[in-house]
Amino acid sequence: MLLDPGMDLTLRPMRYPDFYERYRAAIRNTWTVEEVDLHTDLADLARMTPQERHLINRLVAFFATGDSIVANNLVLNLYQHVNAPEARLYLSRQLFEEAVHVQFYLTLLDTYLPDPDERVKAFAAVEHIPSIRDKAEFCFRWIDSINGLRRLETADERRQFLLNLICFAACIEGLFFYGAFAYVYWFRSRGLLSGLATGTNWVFRDESMHMEFAFSVVETVRAEEPSLFDDELGKQVTRMIEEAVEAELAFARDLCGDGMPGMSVEQMRDYLQYVADQRLVRLGLPQRYGTANPFGFMELQDVQELANFFERRVSAYQVAVEGNVTFDETF
Amino acid sequence: MLEVADRRPAVPDRRLAIEEAAAKVIADPANSRIAAGLLAEEIAEEAAGHGVRTFSESVAATHAAGLVQDSLAAFVGAHAAELDALVSPEADSRFEYFGLRTVHDRYLLRHPETRAVLERPQHFLLRVACGLSETVAEAAELYGLMSTLSYLPSSPTLFNAGARRPQLSSCFLLDSPRDELESIYDRYGQVARLSKYAGGIGISWTRVRSRGSLIRGTNGHSNGIVPWLRTLDSSVAAVNQGGRRKGAACVYLETWHADVEEFLELRDNTGEDARRTHNLNLANWVPDEFMRRVEADEVWSLFDPKEVPDLTDLYGDAFTTAYRAYEAAGRYIRQIPARTLYGRMMRTLAQTGNGWMTFKDAANRTSNQTGRPGNVIHLSNLCTEILEVTSDGETAVCNLGSINLAAHLSGDGMDWPKLARTVRTAVRFLDRTIDLGFYPTPEAEAANRRWRPIGLGVMGLADVFFTLRLPFDSPEALALSTRVAEEIALAAYDTSAGLAAERGRHPSYDETRAAGGVLHPDHYAAASSERWEAVRAKIAANGLRNSLMVAIAPTATIASIAGCYECIEPQVSNVFKRETLSGEFLQVNRYLVADLQARGLWTQRMRDDIKRADGSIQDVPGIPAELRTLYRTAWELPQKALVDLAAARQPYIDQSQSLNLFMASPTIGKLSSMYAYAWKKGLKTTYYLRSRPATRIAQTTVTTGTVTTVTTGTVTSAPADAVACSLENPETCEACQ
Repeated sequence: MLLDPGMDLTLRPMRYPDFYERYRAAIRNTWTVEEVDLHTDLADLARMTPQERHLINRLVAFFATGDSIVANNLVLNLYQHVNAPEARLYLSRQLFEEAVHVQFYLTLLDTYLPDPDERVKAFAAVEHIPSIRDKAEFCFRWIDSINGLRRLETADERRQFLLNLICFAACIEGLFFYGAFAYVYWFRSRGLLSGLATGTNWVFRDESMHMEFAFSVVETVRAEEPSLFDDELGKQVTRMIEEAVEAELAFARDLCGDGMPGMSVEQMRDYLQYVADQRLVRLGLPQRYGTANPFGFMELQDVQELANFFERRVSAYQVAVEGNVTFDETF
Repeated sequence: MLEVADRRPAVPDRRLAIEEAAAKVIADPANSRIAAGLLAEEIAEEAAGHGVRTFSESVAATHAAGLVQDSLAAFVGAHAAELDALVSPEADSRFEYFGLRTVHDRYLLRHPETRAVLERPQHFLLRVACGLSETVAEAAELYGLMSTLSYLPSSPTLFNAGARRPQLSSCFLLDSPRDELESIYDRYGQVARLSKYAGGIGISWTRVRSRGSLIRGTNGHSNGIVPWLRTLDSSVAAVNQGGRRKGAACVYLETWHADVEEFLELRDNTGEDARRTHNLNLANWVPDEFMRRVEADEVWSLFDPKEVPDLTDLYGDAFTTAYRAYEAAGRYIRQIPARTLYGRMMRTLAQTGNGWMTFKDAANRTSNQTGRPGNVIHLSNLCTEILEVTSDGETAVCNLGSINLAAHLSGDGMDWPKLARTVRTAVRFLDRTIDLGFYPTPEAEAANRRWRPIGLGVMGLADVFFTLRLPFDSPEALALSTRVAEEIALAAYDTSAGLAAERGRHPSYDETRAAGGVLHPDHYAAASSERWEAVRAKIAANGLRNSLMVAIAPTATIASIAGCYECIEPQVSNVFKRETLSGEFLQVNRYLVADLQARGLWTQRMRDDIKRADGSIQDVPGIPAELRTLYRTAWELPQKALVDLAAARQPYIDQSQSLNLFMASPTIGKLSSMYAYAWKKGLKTTYYLRSRPATRIAQTTVTTGTVTTVTTGTVTSAPADAVACSLENPETCEACQ
C-alpha cells in the first residue's frame, strides 16, 4: 500500500501509472523565470494609490516565503512517507517547481522593491507582520505535527500524515495561494500588473497540479485503506479548513482595510468560503459555508486565453515532443 | 431576465457596473452591449471634461494639445458643420464591449497631461477618415464603411492617421544586413526607428557569415549569427511603441545557412540563456530543394554565406543549380540528413510555436514583383502575409486594411455588389496612405513609392460560416471562401488599373510580371473568365497603380473592434478570454448561444459543462449533432481543411496569408505530414503552430458536484489527443491589423 513504510524502487510493473503521467505532464509545462516580463509593472506601481501599494507590498511579503515553506514540508514530511517511486518522481518534480516559484517571487521582490532595506523587511514579515506571521505559524504547526514520525505504522499515524498532506494541498496551496492569486487577478482585470499576472498564471497552473496530485494520493489511500477515513478525520479536516479561512481572512483585513472598488474584506470572505467549500467537496466532505463566488473576474481564469504577443509574452508550449518524420499521418 | 445585468444598477460606481455586466457575458451575450453602452456614456463624460462634444470640438482639442496635424485641423475647421453632421449617433451601439474598451484604452487620443480622452469613438473614426481624405465626400465614404464596422484600416493607420507623425504602415521587411559589422549596426538602427512608430519588423539574417568563419580583418573566427540576434533581441525589447505596445520582430533564415540548428533553438526555454532570444520570432525561409530532399530522404548541405553569397539572391531552378554546384565542389561546412533537420524544425514548432515554415520558391515564382532577375523576395514579414522584394537599399513596406465579411451578408448569402464596392473604396484609401505616410527610414520610403504595394485582407470568415451554417470543412465553405477571394482580387485589380489611368502607374510597373501580361491567378490552374479577361484588358491599357494588392493579415485587434472572428481563422473555443494591455475579457460564441437559447438549452449547467470542457461542445450532453459539427473549435477541425481552404484561395491572394495551424498535442509525425502537405499544395507561407499546455489551472468558478463528478484539473490519465487543458496560448500579431 502507498503509505506502507519502506523504499520501493520498482517501476515495472508500475502500481500507480497516474502519478507517473502527472510527472510527465508537469515536465511538458516547464517554464523559467527569465520568460516573465515584469518591466511594465513598474509604471503601474507608480500610479497606484497608497492603499493599493500597501496591498501589493503585503502580497509580495507573503510570496517571499510562502513557496519555501511548502518546499520544506515536501522534503521533511511528504517524500519519505509516499512509498512509490512514481509518486516520488512527481514530488521531485514538484520540488523543482517550488524552487522556480521561490526564484520568481525573489525576482518579483527585487523588481518591485528597489530599496535593499525594504527587501530585508519583506523577508522578515514572516516574523513581524501579524497577518503573515499567523499564516506561517499555521503552516509550521502542521509541519511540526508529524516531524517526529519516521514510519507510518498505525492507523493514527497514517491519519496524522493525511492531515498534513491535506493541509498543504487544501489550505496552503489551495486556499492561502488561491487567496493571493485572487488579488493579482483583481489587478489584472483592471489592466494592471500584467507581468505579475503572467508569472502568477504559470505558478497557478503548477499549484493546481500539486493540489490535484495530493488529492489523488488521498483518493488512492482511501481506496486502499477506507477505514482511515472515519468521521473524526472529516471533522478534523473541516476544522482545519475553518482555521485556514480565518487566518486568510485576517490577512485580507490587513490587505484591504476599508476596501477598494471591487475588492473588500466581505467579498474576500465569500470567495475564501466558496473556495474552501470546493476543497471539502473535492475531499468527499459536505460543504461548510454554501457561499457563492463573488469575483466575476475569477471566471476569467477558467477559460481559454488568447493573448497578443505585442502585449504579453505568451508561453503555452509543450516540451518533450515525440515521434519521427513521416508523411502519411492524418492531421 | 435575471441573468442580464440591470441597466440602472444601484451601485453608484459606473465602472463597477461595467465590470459586472462584462463578467456576465457568458450568461447572456446581451450583457456585452449593456457594458458597452455604459462605457460609451463614460467616454462621453470623460471627453466632455475637456469641453469635447462634437467632432469639430474634438479636433480643435487634439490640435490644441499638439496631437494632430495643422492640415487636418484646417480641413475640419473649414468644413465643421458638414463633418459634425456626418457623425452617426447610433453607430456606437454597434460595438461589443471588448471592441469599445479596446478603442477607449488604446486608440482614442488623450490629453498629454490629464490622460483624459479628447475624442469619442465616432470622432476617432471620422478623424481617421479625414486624415486620409481630400474632400468631405471622401471622408463620408470611408467613415461610412468604418462606422458600420464594414472595413477597418490596420492599427498603425488607426493610431496615426491625421497625427503629427502619420506612420501608417503595418509591416516593414528588411533585407539581411550585408556580411560586415557596419551594415549589421546600421540595421539595428533601422529596426529601432521603424519599430518606434508601431511597425512590425521582418528581417532576414541569411547574408551574415556562420559560426567559425574566418574574419580576415582580425584573423579570428566568427561566433556566428546568434550573438548578433541577441543584440537585436535586446534592441527590439527596448523600443516601446509610443507606450501603446512593445516592439516585435521576426527573423528569417534560409535553410542552408550553417547556423540553422542554433537558430532553431533561439526560443527554447532550456539551455544557455546567453544563446536565447525571448523577444524575437523566428521563421524558416525554405527552398523547394530542401523539401524535395526531405521527401526523398537525402542529405542536405549547410553553407557559410560568405562562401556562397549568391544563393540568397537566387530561387527556383537557378538556385537549385547553384546549390548543387557548390555542393559538388565540396564548399559546404557540414552535411546532415534532410529529414533530421526537418524533424528539428517540427520540434521547434511544437515546442515554441515559432520557426514558421515559409516557402521561398513559391513566394518568388508567383510574385508580381519578381519579373526581372535581381528583384528577389528574401523574406516575409512579422505575420507571414506580406511577400515583397527587398535589397540593401529597399525596405519593403505594406499598408493594410481588412474587410469585415460578416458585415457583407444579406439574406442567405454574401452581398457581392456591396463587397465589390467596399473593395474599391478600400483600395483607393490604401493607395492614398502610401503618399500620406511618414516613413521612418529612406529605404522604406524609396521602396514604397516605387512599388506601391497594398495589402487588402478580410476578417469574420468564421462569422459568415456560422451564419450560413457551413462547417469549415464542407465543400460549400471552400467554394464560398474561394469566391470571396476571387471577388476581392477582381475588384482590387480593376480599381488599381483605374487608379493607374487617373494618377499614373507605379514607377516600377515595367519590372513586374503584370507588365508582361501575367497576372497572379495565371500561375495557378485557376480557370479564367470573361471578368478576368476584362480586367486583363484594362491592365494592359492602363497598367497598375499598385504592384501587389491582396494579403490576409491576422487582424487580432481590429477584429476585436469590429466584433468578429479574426481573418480567416476558425474559432479557438466557444468560450475564451482575451488578454490585452487593457486587462482580460470574456468572449463567448454568440452564434452558439443564440442557437442554444432558441432551444431553451442555455442554462447554467450547460455553461458549466462547456467551461469544464474548455470551450468544446463535442461531449456536452443535449446539444444537437448539427450544432456540434458547426461549432467545432480550431482544435477539433481537421487541419487539412484549413490548408485546403488556404490553397484554394491562394490564386487570388497575390501576397500571402497569416495561416495559423492548430494541434493540441503535436507530434513530429503529424507535423511533418502537415507541413509537407502545405508545401505540396502550393502555400507560400504558414504562421504559428498553436498547441496547448500540458497542464492547466484548476477551475475555480465551475460548480463542482460530488467528488465522483469532479474532473477539473485531472488531465493525466486522458489519452494524448483528449487532454483537457486550458489554452494559455495563442499568440497573435497586431502589426498587421
